[in-house]
Order: sequence, then structure tokens, then C-alpha cells
Amino acid sequence: MENATRFSQYNPIINFTFFIGAICCSMLFMHPAYLVASIFMSLAFNLSTKGLKSLKMIGFLLLVFAFVTVINPILNTAGNTVLFTYFNDRSFTLEALTYGFVFASIFVSVILWFSSYNAIMTSDKFVYIFGPVLPAISMIISMVMRFVPNYSTKAKQISTARQCIGLAGENGDKKDRLKNAESILSSLTSWAFEGGISTADSMRSRGYGTGKRTNYSIYRFDYHDLSLLITMILLLGIVAFCSISGATKVEYLPEISINWFDNIYTLVGFIAYVLFLSLPTILNIKEEITWRILRSRI
Amino acid sequence: MAHFEIKNLNFSYPTMPDKLALEDINLSIEKGEYVTVFGKSGSGKTTLLKHLKSVLTPHGTTSGEVYFDNKLLSSIDLRDQSSKIGYVMQNPDNQIVTDKVWHELAFGLESLGYDQKTIRLRVAEMASYFGIQGWFNKNVSELSGGQKQLLNLASIMAMQPEVLILDEPTSQLDPIAASDFLNTVRKINLELRTTIIITEHRLEDVLYASDKVVVMDKGKIIACDEPRKIGEYLKKENNEMFSAMPTPVQVYYGVEDKFDKNIECPLTVREGGDFLSTIFEGKDIKEKEIDIPEVRLDEGMNPAIMVKEVWYRYDKNSPDILCGTSFMVPHGKLFAIVGGNGTGKSTMLKSICNICKPYRGEILLDGKRLTKYKDSELFKNYLAMMPQDPQSLFVKKTVKEDLLEMLRGSDADKENKIREIADLCEITDLLDSHPFDLSGGEQQRVGLAKVLLTNPKIILLDEPTKGIDSFFKIKFAEILKKLNEKGVTIVMVSHDVEFCARYADICAMFFNGTVITTNTPNKFFSMNSFYTTAANRMSRHIFSNAINCEDVINLCQKNL
Repeated sequence: MENATRFSQYNPIINFTFFIGAICCSMLFMHPAYLVASIFMSLAFNLSTKGLKSLKMIGFLLLVFAFVTVINPILNTAGNTVLFTYFNDRSFTLEALTYGFVFASIFVSVILWFSSYNAIMTSDKFVYIFGPVLPAISMIISMVMRFVPNYSTKAKQISTARQCIGLAGENGDKKDRLKNAESILSSLTSWAFEGGISTADSMRSRGYGTGKRTNYSIYRFDYHDLSLLITMILLLGIVAFCSISGATKVEYLPEISINWFDNIYTLVGFIAYVLFLSLPTILNIKEEITWRILRSRI
Repeated sequence: MAHFEIKNLNFSYPTMPDKLALEDINLSIEKGEYVTVFGKSGSGKTTLLKHLKSVLTPHGTTSGEVYFDNKLLSSIDLRDQSSKIGYVMQNPDNQIVTDKVWHELAFGLESLGYDQKTIRLRVAEMASYFGIQGWFNKNVSELSGGQKQLLNLASIMAMQPEVLILDEPTSQLDPIAASDFLNTVRKINLELRTTIIITEHRLEDVLYASDKVVVMDKGKIIACDEPRKIGEYLKKENNEMFSAMPTPVQVYYGVEDKFDKNIECPLTVREGGDFLSTIFEGKDIKEKEIDIPEVRLDEGMNPAIMVKEVWYRYDKNSPDILCGTSFMVPHGKLFAIVGGNGTGKSTMLKSICNICKPYRGEILLDGKRLTKYKDSELFKNYLAMMPQDPQSLFVKKTVKEDLLEMLRGSDADKENKIREIADLCEITDLLDSHPFDLSGGEQQRVGLAKVLLTNPKIILLDEPTKGIDSFFKIKFAEILKKLNEKGVTIVMVSHDVEFCARYADICAMFFNGTVITTNTPNKFFSMNSFYTTAANRMSRHIFSNAINCEDVINLCQKNL
């Protein structure tokens, strides 16, 4: 719960709805203006969520972006506007280059959205959302999250214990080392099995499987959540309506043809889209400013 | 109206149909009573407790009845049972099901199908009652053992049970966490009138709180009485379980013939101290201290282990775990390091094993630097460490196969060596069992046997007495003494003050990453006033250096 941003404190349903909306839109819309908006907003949101940590990723993403943009026209020669030719008349076209740029934008923005998703949607939020729908699955996820760190600690313990009685196999040949790993695994399995029996006992003794189960969570759905949810749905509705009416109609091959902002749908849809994508960033920044002001008054 | 009524209960496991695991059990437990069930490991305590809740009752042949609230237990709905009868098990880790503290608290209530609002209230109530608010949002894996067990208790109390059954709940905890836990159980009993049925090795922490003590031996109840009478019974029968009684009880019966019979048997240190004051009232105390032959801590040139100002931290940016630790361990002695949790004792052992490599200072083994040893020579016929959890050492299906893993050479040779070591550790009967099926005390000895097969001259033990009962401790100490006689040097790290006071040759206090003081147990414990044995605490106002109950009894005998 450390360093919780405003957006991450909203109900997980809000978090999840936003990410589904943002990621789907980023993958569907190939309109350059929409793409640019998606890249910038995903970047801004990533920065506001993860802080300076996200800068590390950005350098890498720039490389990916450049690579994908350039590789497409090399593999794909379709398109009417030839920029230059190379190797026995292989053409390098503007259309293919633009398409590469589109594809790279989609790729990079989706990665950025997912990176923020991972930072915000912790396992318990996921369980909260899917608990009512898939009670068994959500229970299993919660148990797995409990056991994985447990097992790795135990494996380390066994390995240390063996090292201290000269059975590490570290100095031995491959066969020795393999045998050692096998022993550790076998011990870990017995241990896990043994523990599993007690865990099952503990579950049954607390009434697991005696009837209908409910799902408890510490999250609440309050007024702020509701108003944000309505806003998001409204904005997404506008974006969808405009898009159906041709706002995001684009063609790249064989010739580029794009609906620009002289089309009213494109303009309105774009504004709604930018608003939608920037909602969480605005909330985060607003919170940050409120804190600064509160602190400066002290 | 009895809360639990057990009538003529007999039970045998399918693997051993001829041997009754429970024989002719008759027991009645009233509402709100605190009942301690006590006996050696393997006496059927756990089997008995498991019969008090249908889902946990083991498979086997049963006769007789168990009544709960005057109804046959088996006729009560499982859902009702799971909320009314709470059961806390031994291992704090295995009982926890989910990954978050708050989720674990709610688990039982979710299973019973309560709605959000009720669960929220109950969870909040429990977290406040047990003082869990501070770690409510944490992951379970971040908690200490004591916190985990408290969480298990709280998550069961959230279902508001009428009976709380606890099966050796503190065997995996350190003494401080253990008495915290048992105090909480006592509080629940007193404030909520919950019936408590508990099995426990640490009698000094439960006996005084009990209304009734049930003593079990080989599947039978051999005594069932109020706590002050139990000591008398065991003493009269000359039962070896008497040695598990708290120190004041042992002292009381040790000097039984010397005072007027009207004085009640003391159960706590305070009562024990009062008892000694009473019997010595108006009497002249001629001998205030016991003679112990002066032991010179051999500070020879080549101690077995010499630790010189060792500093260690796990990570460059993490705090120091060892801060300039220095001490030396002479050859052939049992060297005990005592101290609280998280003071760096285990890390100290790991750095002697070269698992944790100090960034400053040096460790010498027999005068040679640890870093100069190759791993192959260090762990072959020279140094070995037994981990805190002996289960970490077991990798095979039988004890014998596990021991064989350690040996090279001809079959006859191997057989001989195994027979020899099994003899020493008294595990000959266990050779064909699965190591995970053994009790804590048995696992400890099998682990030791495996460690001993490396033929070490120095053995490091990490909390060797954790979770084993007092009878096995005596056995274990005998084995350690035999090894000492063979010239093996033993270093043990422990919370178990009573064990160290009785059996160690040298004790060292570890605190905040360094050894604060080193001395013989007698001097060490008689100089301490808090961190010392119960015998010392109850007798220090009369005798100056009695640290075991034998010392107190001896001095009483001499002066009365």
C-alpha cells in the first residue's frame, strides 16, 4: 500500500474498467492523432504512477519504436509513394513507413498501459473483481500467491541445510549437481504435501465446503467511484459513437487517406478520447497539488 | 450440563488395528473451563483433540460417544461445528490459507456465507481485540511466527466459537511470543467465557491458568484433576512426566518431607518464592550457595572456534546484523548462545559455516582462517550444521535411505556405520519410517544422526530444542554429552534458557549483533535477573547461585 496514487485508491472495478477501455482503444484506433494521444497519455500516466522508475523503460521503448517503424517498410513493399529503391528495385514506400509507425505506436502504448496495469492491479484487486464470478479461481489465485513465496523460502532453506553437511554438489560434476537438485525437489515435495494436508484440515475446520461461500473484500464502492465510473462510460460512449460515425476512418494502403479534424465527429471523438485517457493522470496530479498546498500551509 | 462429554471412547488407526491409540476415554468438560491435556509425544493427545471436531476426526475404528452440548457430535451439522468449535494447530505456517492478513481473518466467515457488512464488522472487531491493526494490510509472508499464530487464533475467534481447541500452539514459537500467545488464550477464556482445551509442553505458562489437567499416557487418561493435585499424583506414581512439571512444583515435592503439610503447592514463580520464604521463616540459612568446582574458561592459543570482530549485513544498504562479534569456543565443550529473536544468532552460525560471508573481521577454526578452507574439506570430517528445522535435511523415503545418502564405500561398511550412529542417537527403531512421519523429537535425533555421519569435530546447532517435549530434551542432552566426551565441540543457539542452564558448559548472551557476556552457566544465570531460569528467579532472595531446581532442592535439604 506504500506510495498509493489517487487513481490506485479507487475501487478495483474502476481501475479495471479504465485499463480495459484504454488498452482496447489503443489497439483498435489507427488514426494518427488518436495514436499520438494514446502514447502521450500512457506515458504521462506511467510517470505519475511509477515516478522516476518508469524512465528506465522509456529508453528501451524508444528503441523498440524506431525498430518496428523501420522494419515494416523493409518487409512490406506495398504502397504508391516510393521514397527510394534499393537492392534490385526493392521499393521503400511512404505508406509502409507510416504503417510501421502506426504499428509501433500501438505496440509501445499498449506496453506502457500494461506496465501501469501491473503496478496498480495487484492480485487481491483481481480476486476482488472476479471473486463473485469465479469463486474457485479467485480462491486458488489467493492460495498460489501465498504458497509461491513459501516454497522458494523453503527451497533455499533445504539447499543451505545440505550445503552445511557437505552435500551441496557445487564442486561436483554435472551429475552430482543434478542429483542434488533432484534431492531438493523431492524434499520440497514431501514438505509441501505434508503442509498441504494441514492446510486442507485448516480450511475444512473453518467451514470450507460446507455450503455457499461469500467473498469478502476490503474495497468499497462509494460516491467518488460512481461518479468516475459514469464519467468514464460517458466519454467512452462518445468515442464509440463518433468512431462508428467515421471519426477514426483511416486507410494506409495502397494510399493514405485520413479523416482530419474538419470532420466534426473526428474532432469531438478525439477530445472525448483524450479526456478519457487523461482522467487518471489528472486525478493523480490533482492529488499531488492538493498535498503540496496542504503542506505549504503548515 | 457438560459442554463436552466423552464416554468410553476407544480408537485405533487402520495401520495399527491391534494397538489402541485411545483407550477407554471418559472425560467431561464444563462450559468456560480451561483444560490442559498433557503427556509425552505419542501419548494420543492430538488424536483425542481431533475427536472433538468431526471434520478432523481421523479414519479408524471407533467406539464410544462424544457429546457436544448434550447432542451427539456426529449428528451436529458440519457448518455449525465449524463455527462453534475452533481448532488451532501446531504449525503456524500451514494453517494459513490466503495471502493477505485481512483475507485470512475473513476466511472462515466467507466459508459460512456471511454478508459483507457482517464480515467487515467481525474482522474489524477481531483486528482490534488482537492488536492486528498495525499489520492488517500486510502479506502473510511478511509476518513473524508469533504473529502468524496470533492471526490463526484471531481468524478462528472471528467465527465466535464456544470452544477453542489448541494443539501445541506454541511449539514453533520463541518463549516471548509463546507466552504472549498463551496470555491471549487466557484472556479469551476469562473475558469471553470460551471453553479452552489445550495441549502444551510449556506447563509453566498454562498450569496456573487451568481449571483441570488431564494427563495421558499410552492412549489412556491416567489422571484428571485440578493443577495443584497433579504434581502429587505424578510424584506418588514416580512417573517420569514429573520432570515436565514447572520448577516450583518440582521444588515443592523435592523438599516435601521437611515442612508442614498445610502449605499449598506453588505453581508460579511468585508462589514458589513465597513458598521458600515461608519454609525458611525464622530459620538461619547457613549455606547460601552451592559449591561448584571452579571451571576455568580455557583461553588457550588454539580454540576450536575463534570469532574476531565480525561484521555482517545481508545487503550493502541494509542494517548490520553482526556488529563486531567476538568470542571463542574451547575444544570439546557445549557452548550455548542465548538471546532474543532477531538478534543475529542464526546469522552468526551461518557465518561460521561460511554461508554468510562477513565483510569485516575474521573467523578462525583451529587457528586457521575460515576463508582458507575449501568447502570440500570444511564440511568433510570437520564442520557441520544442523538447521533449525530438521525436516530440511530429509530427502528420502525412509530414515535409512536418508542416512545412506551420507556414506560412501562398501555396503558392509555403511551398515556398520549406520548401526553405530543409530545406536548413539537411539533411532534404531525408526530406520524404516518415513522421516516426515516422526514426531518433532524423533526428527531432531534423526537430523542429528545425519549430521553426525559427516564425522564432524565441530557441530553447530540452531535451536535444537524447539518444539520437543521435556523427555526428549533429556535424551537429546545425553547424546550431546556423549559427543562432548568424544571431543566434539558443540555450539548451540537457543531460546531455551532452562536447557542451557542445565546442560551447557559455557553460556554467552547475544544481543544487538554482538556477544555481550560469556561465562559458566552458573555464574551467567545467577548474575542475570530477568534473563534467567525460573529456579533462580524464585530462589534468588534466599540462595545466591541456585539455577536449576536440583540446586534449590539441595540447598533446601541442607538448610532445613
